[in-house]
Amino acid sequence: MFNNHFKTALGYIKRAPFQAAAAIFVLSLTFFVATFVSVLVYSSSQLLNYFETRPQVIAFLKDNASDAQVADLQHKLAANTKIKDVKYVSKEEALSIYKKATSDNPLLGQLVSPSIFPASLEFSVTDLSFAQDIINQTKGESIVDSVGFTAAVGGEASLNDVVSRLRTITTYVRVGGGVFTGVLALASFTVLLITITMRMATRREEIEILDLIGATKSFIRSPIILEAIIYAVVGVLVGWILSFIAVLYSAPTLVSYFGEIPILPRDALGILTIFGTILGIELLGGIVLAVSGSLLAISRVRKSR
Amino acid sequence: MSQEKKNIIKFNKVTKKFGNVTALDSISFEVESGEFIFITGPSGAGKTTILRLILGEISPDSGEVIVDGINVKNLKEKDLPYFRQKIGIVFQDFKVLSERTVAENVEVALAVIGIPETDWGERVKHVLKLAGLLRQAELFPSQLSGGELQRVSLARALSVNPKLLLADEPTGNLDWDTADLIMQLFEKINKEGKTVIVATHNLEIIKKYKKREVHIVGGTIK
Repeated sequence: MFNNHFKTALGYIKRAPFQAAAAIFVLSLTFFVATFVSVLVYSSSQLLNYFETRPQVIAFLKDNASDAQVADLQHKLAANTKIKDVKYVSKEEALSIYKKATSDNPLLGQLVSPSIFPASLEFSVTDLSFAQDIINQTKGESIVDSVGFTAAVGGEASLNDVVSRLRTITTYVRVGGGVFTGVLALASFTVLLITITMRMATRREEIEILDLIGATKSFIRSPIILEAIIYAVVGVLVGWILSFIAVLYSAPTLVSYFGEIPILPRDALGILTIFGTILGIELLGGIVLAVSGSLLAISRVRKSR
Repeated sequence: MSQEKKNIIKFNKVTKKFGNVTALDSISFEVESGEFIFITGPSGAGKTTILRLILGEISPDSGEVIVDGINVKNLKEKDLPYFRQKIGIVFQDFKVLSERTVAENVEVALAVIGIPETDWGERVKHVLKLAGLLRQAELFPSQLSGGELQRVSLARALSVNPKLLLADEPTGNLDWDTADLIMQLFEKINKEGKTVIVATHNLEIIKKYKKREVHIVGGTIK
């Protein structure tokens, strides 16, 4: 029976190829953008995650802090689930970092000794929103002289700005992409609805005849719903393939531009996992779109009878 | 040997109104299984309303319509398709599927009642032969004459092997010779044991075939 409905659905498509092409074109465009936005959301999340997990907080230690006290604090910080990558930087290492940073002007390096650089504990937070609390807590430690944030060392007041800026960018990408995709999805839904309604209007007599000779609702509806599902699946595949090709084509440039920031997976399996997941979600979304659109069209036509 | 035939259709004081217009006014009649009857009367008398009531397309405002032991008014919507599958119907305006060939029109009816595709071939061939349409099997409705279209409609109705065959003005759009040919087919089908109800106002047909008449005028039986 499914084969029969499938053949009928294909017959409907063949008999009105331009309506079918219009529906598939709009759906393809929607899913092309949806795939692209999904990759953009992934990349922006990776970007945010990268910055969130950089060593951000530096607790400058008092000169009189003993090794045991430093070790205790290091363990205490490492045990905090909101903190990761705790690293001790000695006075000598701090000088070395300073000299490296001022290597273009050796005179600056010669003028300083290790004693002027405080030892420090550097660490990052697992989520940037924890930073302010962690800084406040760390400031309260007896061996801590001051606490700085790498984005603005010594300027904790600007921490919220840094966090909010990164979050704003990510939100724009997510919300903007979501809205754009939503608008396109709505357009696709409307086109699908109109196409199926037109199909049903031109087949009103056929539906009436089928009704009179004893066709069940599912017998009448199945080819119509299958037709919409065919549009959606073809639309998803075309949009996804085009987007996949576009991303693969631009990947080397993007990866090179962003350097060590892993905006895209570096291995084929990672890329395939992401695109496979997107494809699965889009197929599901496409089928939901097709079924809901066609059922709405059917109910509208039935009401108008 | 006495043969007590069962009633396949029973109208019991059936009234049907459309707005202020009374289409049928408390009519009662019965049709025996295997019988061939004409429902006659002028246009607008209520002939088509009777067929629509039998088919369950509309419900009576009062009274009962019993078809093969089933009170049509009590049928649930989900059961209606299965009820209709037992009835063959032929329309004045043919109602063939214009985008399907003659054979496909018959196949649709078989698909509707759930006959497996592998069994279609023989049944389609049989009804098309009966209707004299074997040579036109692969033609589309636009390539057929009025008489041929009516035979397609008849072949489709017969393909499901119905107990009851309803025909609403089946000769209305046909010339006499073609109409006569269609009526001969109905008679042949009736002789095979099927109940046939033909709604018509064609006096020549009524005179020639001399079947029992249920004559309706203004919604009542005369």
